[in-house]
Amino acid sequence: MSTELLPQLARRPASPQDSPRPVAGAGPYTLAFRRLRRDRVSLAFGAVFLVITAMCLAAPLYAHHIAHTGPADNHVTDTVRIGGQTRDVVSPDGLPIGPTWHGRFFLGADQNGRDIAVRLLYGGRNSLEIGFVATAITMILATLTGGVAGYFRGPVDSVLARVLDLIWAFPVVLLGIALGTSLALGGINLGLFTLSGNSLLVPAVIIGFVYIPYVAKPVRGQVLALREREFVDAARLQGLGTLRILWSEVLPNLASTLIVFVPLMIANAILLEAGLSYLGAGVQPPNPSWGTMIADGIALLPSAIHLTLVPGAMLVLAVLGINVFGDGVRDALDPHSPIRLGH
Amino acid sequence: MRRKATTTTGVAAIACLAAVGIAACGSSAASTKEGGTATVLMGTAPDFLDPQEGYTTQAAEADWISYTPLLTYAHASGQGGTKLIPGLAQDLPQVSKDGKTYTVTLRKGLVYSDGKAVKASDFPATIERAIKLNWGGKSFFTNYIVGASAYDTGKSSSISGITTDDTTGQITIHLTQPYGAFDNVIAFPAAGLVPASTPKTNLSNNPPPGVGPYMITNVSPNRGWTMVKNPHFASLGIPNIPNGHLDTIKVNITSNTQSEAQQVLEDQADAFDPGDTLPASLLPQIQSKASGRFSRETIPSTFYFFLNTRTAPFNNPKARQAVNYALDRRAFVRLASGFLKPECYFLPDGITGHPTGNCPYGSKDGAPDLAKAQQLVKQAGLEGTPVTVWGQTRAPRKQYVEYYTSVLNKIGFKATPKIISDSVYFPTIGNAKTGAQTGFADWLQDFPNPSDFYLLMNAKSIQPVNNENFSNVNDPHVQSELAKLNAVPATKLDSVKGEWQSLDQYTAKQAYQAVYGSEELPKFLSTRIDFGSAVFHPLYLNDWSTWQLTG
Repeated sequence: MSTELLPQLARRPASPQDSPRPVAGAGPYTLAFRRLRRDRVSLAFGAVFLVITAMCLAAPLYAHHIAHTGPADNHVTDTVRIGGQTRDVVSPDGLPIGPTWHGRFFLGADQNGRDIAVRLLYGGRNSLEIGFVATAITMILATLTGGVAGYFRGPVDSVLARVLDLIWAFPVVLLGIALGTSLALGGINLGLFTLSGNSLLVPAVIIGFVYIPYVAKPVRGQVLALREREFVDAARLQGLGTLRILWSEVLPNLASTLIVFVPLMIANAILLEAGLSYLGAGVQPPNPSWGTMIADGIALLPSAIHLTLVPGAMLVLAVLGINVFGDGVRDALDPHSPIRLGH
Repeated sequence: MRRKATTTTGVAAIACLAAVGIAACGSSAASTKEGGTATVLMGTAPDFLDPQEGYTTQAAEADWISYTPLLTYAHASGQGGTKLIPGLAQDLPQVSKDGKTYTVTLRKGLVYSDGKAVKASDFPATIERAIKLNWGGKSFFTNYIVGASAYDTGKSSSISGITTDDTTGQITIHLTQPYGAFDNVIAFPAAGLVPASTPKTNLSNNPPPGVGPYMITNVSPNRGWTMVKNPHFASLGIPNIPNGHLDTIKVNITSNTQSEAQQVLEDQADAFDPGDTLPASLLPQIQSKASGRFSRETIPSTFYFFLNTRTAPFNNPKARQAVNYALDRRAFVRLASGFLKPECYFLPDGITGHPTGNCPYGSKDGAPDLAKAQQLVKQAGLEGTPVTVWGQTRAPRKQYVEYYTSVLNKIGFKATPKIISDSVYFPTIGNAKTGAQTGFADWLQDFPNPSDFYLLMNAKSIQPVNNENFSNVNDPHVQSELAKLNAVPATKLDSVKGEWQSLDQYTAKQAYQAVYGSEELPKFLSTRIDFGSAVFHPLYLNDWSTWQLTG
């Protein structure tokens, strides 16, 4: 694969500008990058995701300098001046103000008089943070589990494979709800590792955990094949230890698979986080997330549709952006790869 | 129009009671028919369907028409519904001159829904069951019935203060001290008779037989259940208790109040849970399209945040005062879509002893005094104290708690909300092990007497599980006043109105709770139910036994 462009380069007519040095072969990642660069659709969606991420990272700046309110600040009985008129942020009947298209309450307010735009950006920060942390947890633990199971085979593989089967057997959402509901109350307390119930890391750990089999199983399969390859035998004959073989021989050959998984896992983690938060088993108040914002907005759906529509649209855009980009990365790294995240 | 409908119903009900009995009441202009099925939606599952454990409005709606106690209430709307009538007893109790002995006689020929005979000895077994199952109001029994406390603590195997004679049906109850509202205590659905052989375990999923127009069947936890007619009830001929018109009432739990209201509006279901708040977004539609089947019902109730006096920071009076200064009660009115009347006293309007003066801290309908609150927190050295604020998921209770949390943060605490499922909320905060610092609480009258509300500040009602005194108020002055005032018979309540007012002003001054209002409840039915004859009971809300399908 790494030499596929060489014949074309060799056939190119010589020009005076050509270097007299021999033409260097392009590495697999260079080739993948070139393919990705040609995939405009994937790049466009990747850019959308990047823009959303940048906006969310700028949430504190927006809150402080433009909206002049925090994500959890209630303004139930406050008023706001729009176009020379004073308006209630929340009406006496409980209906929140709609989009003002001004700095304050740009996208309107929710029932508690909280600025939707501020919460949207902070919610995005939380959703993305959970998506990234959960993906990191999944990738690290799945690589370890799948790698060890595939490399050692035998009883180690049997035990780890059964554990993965056990997690796999539970529907992801149901397992997430069960863990989220119970951990939201008491948090996680494993001696040195302690998290309070409303910590953002709780849903991140849960999501990271439930997705482990989805990555570990393909990794195990690849390692099972890799451990039989000649370069691993050669390393073994040279006297390299197991850890060294795994680190320097097996892992580099897994890298493209793992890279393909990362964006797909981020998309799935963000979606699951939104689902869990919608059901009250993810991000806990007063932290906003797109999922909790949709849940809060449902109660006012007919008259204040923006409360649901805006976080919903952001969620769709972010997930679509990273998902399409992830597909592009997969196609670029290995167009024939069968890797898909199934549920 | 809504006010007129309610008044008319109430007056009609009282007139019927006085003249020909309630069985003849309920006729309305709309043509109606017997039988059929109605579907009731509830935003929250009952805490327990077991009659000796249930204490929420959702539980009471089902239990009071399935488990008739010795005494019960007239099936009427408004004030008429607070009138005590004999249930399974032949008459109202005979009370001794010292107010410490109550004697009633069971009606003849009573049978449970399973056809077995009702015996007088089932009554003490029922009370023992409620105590053993830690019913939230068990202190009404253990504080007053001789031997009930000893039974509760395991020092005796039965309640010595209740004697019965199965042959004559006579039941005698001896009290340790007079309690003016004891008639109301034996009218609780929790005192609704069940067979003595009923296991003393939670039977919410398979409720025991009872005596009432309906039976609770097909319970699917957190999803719903079905009420079907008790085949034996009509033949018992108990006066003033309707036999029920509908054959079946299906109860579905729908956690989304938006969907709940929408379904009733569109006649896909027949009743909105009065324990829920109508969503602000649908209110205009309901008022315009369904004005003939919607009304706001005023039931004496208190909505408040408990402030646990046993744990920091609310064991410090300054912290409690600060909270009362900081609450903007107008905000709660908006969060409740206008269904809340701001208040700062614990005894609500409509209950004897409700104070009418200014609030001791802050204003009930003006701007909060945040500066004063911040100053108090600072003075007490409590700035930055972590506070967990407990709340329920359903709207607008979650919104109340989120607003309250932001207020606590504004005045210097480091507050975070803890929102948990509705179905486990009260058992969780009522468990001493939880050590809840502060959070949402509410109380709708069990009976029209201030002593009912003061259960929540009576030190004798503090219990390790299913505690209702969430603030753990244990004040000698309150206790001595309650000892005096609780002894006054319900018929002479007006004579101690001033004392109750003083007590309520005292507890407001101590800031044991942060009261913010009294909610109006929605009576919202489909077009299939005859709205005029459907009783909205002042204690048990929608009275399903009076519902009839329109012709």
